[in-house]
Amino acid sequence: MPPPAGSYALHVIQRAPDGEVIGHDGRPQRLARYTRGRVTLLSLVYTYCTEPTGCAFAYETGVDIKRRVLADQRLHGRAQFVSLSFDPLNDTHESMRAYGGPHARTGGALPWHFLTTRSMRELAPILEGFGQEIEVERDSRGRPTRTISHMLKLFLIDREGRVREIYSTAFLHPEAMLNDIRTLVMEEDARR
Amino acid sequence: MGTLQDVRKLMVAAAVAIAFAGAALADETCNSPYTTRLIKGQEDYVHVWTLGVDGLGDGSDKLVTVDVNPRSKRYGKVVHTLSVGGRGEAHHMGFTDDRKHLWAGGLDDSRIHVFDVGSNPAKPRLVRTIADLPKKTGFVGPHTFYALPGRMLVQALSNSKDHGGVTGIAVYNNRGRFVARYDMPTGELGGVKGDGYGYDLAINPRKNVLLTSSFAGWNNYMMDMGKLVKDAEAMKRFGGTMAAWDLKAMKPKQIFSVPGSPLEIRWSLNPKDNWAVTATALTSKIWLIKPDGKGGWQAKDVATIGDPSKIPLPVDISISADGRGLWVNTFMDGLTRYFDLSNPEAPKEIYTKKTGKQVNMISQSWDGKRVYITSSLLANWDKKGEDNEQFLALYSWDGKELKEQWRIDFTKEKLGRAHHMKFSAKGKKT
Repeated sequence: MPPPAGSYALHVIQRAPDGEVIGHDGRPQRLARYTRGRVTLLSLVYTYCTEPTGCAFAYETGVDIKRRVLADQRLHGRAQFVSLSFDPLNDTHESMRAYGGPHARTGGALPWHFLTTRSMRELAPILEGFGQEIEVERDSRGRPTRTISHMLKLFLIDREGRVREIYSTAFLHPEAMLNDIRTLVMEEDARR
Repeated sequence: MGTLQDVRKLMVAAAVAIAFAGAALADETCNSPYTTRLIKGQEDYVHVWTLGVDGLGDGSDKLVTVDVNPRSKRYGKVVHTLSVGGRGEAHHMGFTDDRKHLWAGGLDDSRIHVFDVGSNPAKPRLVRTIADLPKKTGFVGPHTFYALPGRMLVQALSNSKDHGGVTGIAVYNNRGRFVARYDMPTGELGGVKGDGYGYDLAINPRKNVLLTSSFAGWNNYMMDMGKLVKDAEAMKRFGGTMAAWDLKAMKPKQIFSVPGSPLEIRWSLNPKDNWAVTATALTSKIWLIKPDGKGGWQAKDVATIGDPSKIPLPVDISISADGRGLWVNTFMDGLTRYFDLSNPEAPKEIYTKKTGKQVNMISQSWDGKRVYITSSLLANWDKKGEDNEQFLALYSWDGKELKEQWRIDFTKEKLGRAHHMKFSAKGKKT
């Protein structure tokens, strides 16, 4: 059982990187715009990922936590989700919007931003900043495939843009993750 | 120090026996559950964190890389060495969560060397040395390196104030920046008082539990072994507890009395299991840590390793991937033992082979077919004279017999004292 929200500390692990991303509307924005001001749960994905314990799992976990956040009125307006593609060559802002489907919202009680970047050149420092390694898998002839090997990580970022928790597959426990969001919100409230 | 028999007599007479720094996190089956890309096929390289010896080669601690792929022309050969420029009592290593970097600690100088083994595992590079552990935490002797997502848990053995055994856990992010520190418990929990000592740590993510074990401080592990066993007061200063922590909160919840310095902790990797084992160096026992049926955990003495009166000194264990077998190396008699863990409540020793005059680390491949063994315990605790063999050896295991495939003499090669091992592979091999 995870400990109760607010009964533990989430230390600052690192700063969340900034960089230029493409939003729902196709316009360039700073990533910081989507990772500040609220508690942010950020995942790095690509739309055609088929690994059941990869992006799809991250997406399903996000949907689960979204439901839990919306069920807690104290969290309304205090959190946001970000799904950022690490394949700018294939994932356009339109395809990311389609990937988000009904969950893609830019406002309301729980915004969920589906973002991409213009190029690997712009994406690379963001991945480096998060410590997210990716690798394009190759076939038996050494040709690149459409599969991107990556270690699934989700990042919990406080309203000041500091990474406070990182979740890999073994850590994707929605109840514990919800408590982490609550813990950061309670921390903000205590400062006010 | 005196002869081995003298040492044994002293140990028995002292009735407290001696603890020997074993080795944690040795093998593919003992990596943190947060470490990606476990090598479930043939490993290509074994990296050996090796203690420098004055007058031997460059005398420096070094990372020695050995080609272990039988298809390679350099099979069983040292293909790379990387010295760190001094002797700091090289001991243990651990991968970062992405398996790109290998953190390697010095128990004496408290420095942590970070090697890039992901870019080219045949030629590791030293990319960073973390030297602020004592300053940031008050702890010294970084021992176990255990990956969490984006960061590393570092279990220390001692402290900078009195160099005793009271210590704690540090957390660094993957870039080597300090994040947090946690003291080992010294208060009473569940009727058992914590001794504040540390050694190994291991996590069960499903249960949100972190287990820790306990050994001894710098004053003991840096002392000459012959002198140590004659020092009655020093011999009292060994750990005798384990603790179960709330992992998320990083708070100790229970303390267990586990006499005799419990060392390595191994969770069963079988998804159906919820138990871990450890071995006690001084008392030569296997302990089982399992749920107590009341929402907590319990520790049980479930087996004896050899004849405890002869002080075999179990110093490293390696659990099979299915959780049904356990290798145990006993330093003093140089024996490698295999326990049937089918019933973890009653492990049975079913195979024994002498693999060296002194043996410490044991690391098995994920498929259990290969077993690597090294020789060194600590610079001041290794045997003397002809008994001081220093080697890396590979054995094959067919379920019935260990057969030696090759052995590299680390003294003859002017490398040093062979200690901790980690595997790596070219490309993706999961």
